[in-house]
Amino acid sequence: MAYELPIPRQGIHTRPFWEGAKEGKLMLPRCIDCNTVHWYPRHICPNCHSINLEWIEGSGEGRIHTFAVQHLVFGPWSEHAPYVTAYIDLLEGDRMLTVLRGVDPEKPETIEIGAKVRVEFEQANDDTFIPYWRVVGE
Amino acid sequence: MPGLLYKSAAIVGAAEANEIGFLEEPATALQLHIEAIKNLSDQTGIPIAKIDGIFSTGWSTELCEHLGITPKYIDTTAVGGCSFEMHVHHAAAAIYSGIIDIALVSHGENGHSARKIGSGGGNYGRGAGNASPSHEMTMAYGLGGAPSNYAHAMVRHMHRYGTKREDYAHVAKVTRDWATLNPRAAMYSKEKHPFGGPITVEQVEESRLIAWPLTILHCCMVADHGGAIFVVSPKIAARLSTKPVWIAGAGESMSHGNMMEMGDFTKTSADKSAEAAYTMAGLGPADMELAEIYDSFTITAAMTAEMLGLAKPGEGHLLWKDGHAAPGGRLPINTNGGGLSFNHSGMYGMPLLIEAYRQLSGTAEDGINGDKGKQTDARTCVVNGTGGSLSTTGTLVLISDDD
Repeated sequence: MAYELPIPRQGIHTRPFWEGAKEGKLMLPRCIDCNTVHWYPRHICPNCHSINLEWIEGSGEGRIHTFAVQHLVFGPWSEHAPYVTAYIDLLEGDRMLTVLRGVDPEKPETIEIGAKVRVEFEQANDDTFIPYWRVVGE
Repeated sequence: MPGLLYKSAAIVGAAEANEIGFLEEPATALQLHIEAIKNLSDQTGIPIAKIDGIFSTGWSTELCEHLGITPKYIDTTAVGGCSFEMHVHHAAAAIYSGIIDIALVSHGENGHSARKIGSGGGNYGRGAGNASPSHEMTMAYGLGGAPSNYAHAMVRHMHRYGTKREDYAHVAKVTRDWATLNPRAAMYSKEKHPFGGPITVEQVEESRLIAWPLTILHCCMVADHGGAIFVVSPKIAARLSTKPVWIAGAGESMSHGNMMEMGDFTKTSADKSAEAAYTMAGLGPADMELAEIYDSFTITAAMTAEMLGLAKPGEGHLLWKDGHAAPGGRLPINTNGGGLSFNHSGMYGMPLLIEAYRQLSGTAEDGINGDKGKQTDARTCVVNGTGGSLSTTGTLVLISDDD
């Protein structure tokens, strides 16, 4: 089935992320000087302002930092409402946005901040595999 | 006689992006900005972390977010090619005033490369969709308007403080009470708007879900509004027949642009902007007799009240729940009916200023702001605006001319 949700337009300096995603790897930018992982990908380390940056393969593990359930939605996502959006604390540090999988949007009280999540990738087109996060057991 | 700003500030370095001209490998505008800034830092020896004022044409939030800095003077004047000369003027005024020491004026524009790759940034100043990396990494995930974002902060705030959604519903109820005293408020009465007139906490809770936990009555309206104010010198003020309201303190700050970059979802940068404003005014939260707080959502008002020092962390909602913020309470808040029930057109900062002026100048009893006479006798008011996704904050301390 064709992927009908918004597909990111890939930037130039984010290419290693999208190349990794094709292979199911969660690539993350890390500063060689201060060793800090940051997200989203920068041209400069937002921690120490070094421009010596590298890409590392992340663990693909994280935890729910906070979430919400989207009910009033316009555009392509409206057919999927309600759905749960969440900010994920990456095991390596910093935070990623996702549409959370493995949860019941009708029962937000059952979704736990701090719950363990794992990344998975969905193919959107030939070049784009979009990361989504799923709640998994401890 | 030289003017006040005469030799008040100096330009101490100037640098450009690594490659300029007709680039073979296209570069985004954001990249050109960052390269120039890094080169300027290297040239001058001024660490990027020491920048405390930012000036750019619509890029300021995104640049600061990208650099991971939170300056206390944020100017993003974009009026065409002459903007940068104006930035220098504004920076000199800010430096002369003692607000900042190190102003960054930055430019990045990929007129050539944009034909191949788009501008690659400028999301916050010039409309979304320009594919900056923050946009690239969030646009896939079904977030839309402000409620879709703000709901995440409300959930984290409740999680941290053990509060319930109903606690915040009191903000909507009390703010509506104020609106029913103000004939100009959109929700003044049932006659004025089908959903107008008094509401109960139960109604707020049971109204339609927009982005759980936010129901529609936890959200501000989107209406039409126009407003303007004059700010003048004391000399001019003395010649006018209108009553002055004095700017005693002012401060600004930011924590992020994209909500993904919001470090702590239970607080905004209003604590910093308020500290600057209070310090400038020589006053503190306990001296405030009135507060006009951006209430895009109930959570925004409750959280901001905490940041302004009007309530302890996690207890902002109690100002409304316990009646302190209500008509007749000890600290009236959002006396016009707020963005929740007076008017909110998208950017609510101007109505905040207008209401603060009316209350502190004693012109609110002219029928504009209440059919029951003057509602407050406040001599001091803290005004706080929030922008973006709880991203940027500006705080003013205003005082009446009564003293």
